[in-house]
Amino acid sequence: MNLIERYVTEVGKYLPRRSRADIEAELRSTLEDMLEDRSQQAHRPVDEAMVTALLEEYGSPKKVAASYGHAQYLIGPRLYPTFMLVLQIVAFAVVLGLTIATAIAFVKTNMTPPEVLKTLGEFALNLLGGLIQAFGNVVLVFAILERVLPPSELEDKETWTPAELIKEPHPDEVKIGEMIAGIVFTMAFLLVFNFYPEIVGIWLTDNGALTQAAGLSEAFFRYLPFINISGLLTIALYIYLLRNRFWTAATRWTHIAIELIGIAIAYSMLQGPSLLKLFPMSTNTELQATLTQIFDRMVPFILLLVIILSGIEIVKTLVRLVRPAKTSLPFQK
Amino acid sequence: MTTNEMYDNTINELRRGVIVLAVLSQLDEAQYGYSLLKLLSDQGLALDQGTLYPLLRRLESQGLLKSDWKIEESRPRRYYIISPEGQEMLPRLKEEWNRIVSMMDGMLG
Repeated sequence: MNLIERYVTEVGKYLPRRSRADIEAELRSTLEDMLEDRSQQAHRPVDEAMVTALLEEYGSPKKVAASYGHAQYLIGPRLYPTFMLVLQIVAFAVVLGLTIATAIAFVKTNMTPPEVLKTLGEFALNLLGGLIQAFGNVVLVFAILERVLPPSELEDKETWTPAELIKEPHPDEVKIGEMIAGIVFTMAFLLVFNFYPEIVGIWLTDNGALTQAAGLSEAFFRYLPFINISGLLTIALYIYLLRNRFWTAATRWTHIAIELIGIAIAYSMLQGPSLLKLFPMSTNTELQATLTQIFDRMVPFILLLVIILSGIEIVKTLVRLVRPAKTSLPFQK
Repeated sequence: MTTNEMYDNTINELRRGVIVLAVLSQLDEAQYGYSLLKLLSDQGLALDQGTLYPLLRRLESQGLLKSDWKIEESRPRRYYIISPEGQEMLPRLKEEWNRIVSMMDGMLG
């Protein structure tokens, strides 16, 4: 009998916890029924050979568990098309970014042929690493979405009519692509600034070696917790919106609050000390100084841009709050 | 995929829809999985357990069957019986089945 118990436990390993005990109990009782039947037909008591033959016939535990049809997706068919789209966009961005960075390195420095080869080799390695990392991050986000989104989401278009093809989108309807892109980019941003802050900065070739000329200063990291909070709030809001499909007054106010946090962070960064710090370099010091000056001026510009864009978002959201949409919901009759 | 595999796959797909009707039709009296398997096989429909048990669970989750654990002969067994919803649906399924049979008869000559 021990063999049957082992078999049942083995099947259970591949079953979801929720239904495991139940399926195991039924399987156990079925196997015992079958054994009893066989023992009667063979006119001899149950022995190990009989059990072995039965289990062999019943099939491998993996196959038996799979027959219960719990498709275990990392990313299921409903999200797969969006996943592929985002993956292509992100892969394109990685390739573009690294190509531009390498091209700048070529233009800015006079490399000897071996250095050119070395830079090209590093480019290939960075590209490979960057693509793998981007792939991992996108998969992570979608694997979470797969588990967070309710099963009916993205496919409950029972009332779909061809008229929807030409209809203007409902103003309160959440744009799924926008939300998913927002989540992916916010996550990528948070990952880079929290786990790889050392790669952010200005990179130059110093005597043929790629060296960091400027990086994030201590001042930046004092803002990081607030940036994280605002980023995580954004992700939480977007996931909530994806689940609910329509903006409500509450979510619009939350959106405004998060944008205000963003403005507050950007504003205090503007007032505070420089977010960049210089690293000593043996050569290229002149170029380093010029570039850092340019970037030091660019940072306030970027921060101002963030404030302005957030301001526009807030105004747009306020307008929606004041003037609610008049059209009926597209999925209501 | 060999021709034989394709044949087997097609046959399996053909049978898949029939099995639901067969199972519902036999469960106006409570049966446990293995007894149902034998009942069906006695009437010529040989199923393997890997098909029947998951199907029973699915039909139960859809509300067409009800199940109960009963302890007898020192062994607990799960008994399935058709639910009121299933009873309500069965005649309509039979009607549809007859329609399909006569339609296919006409089509296949």
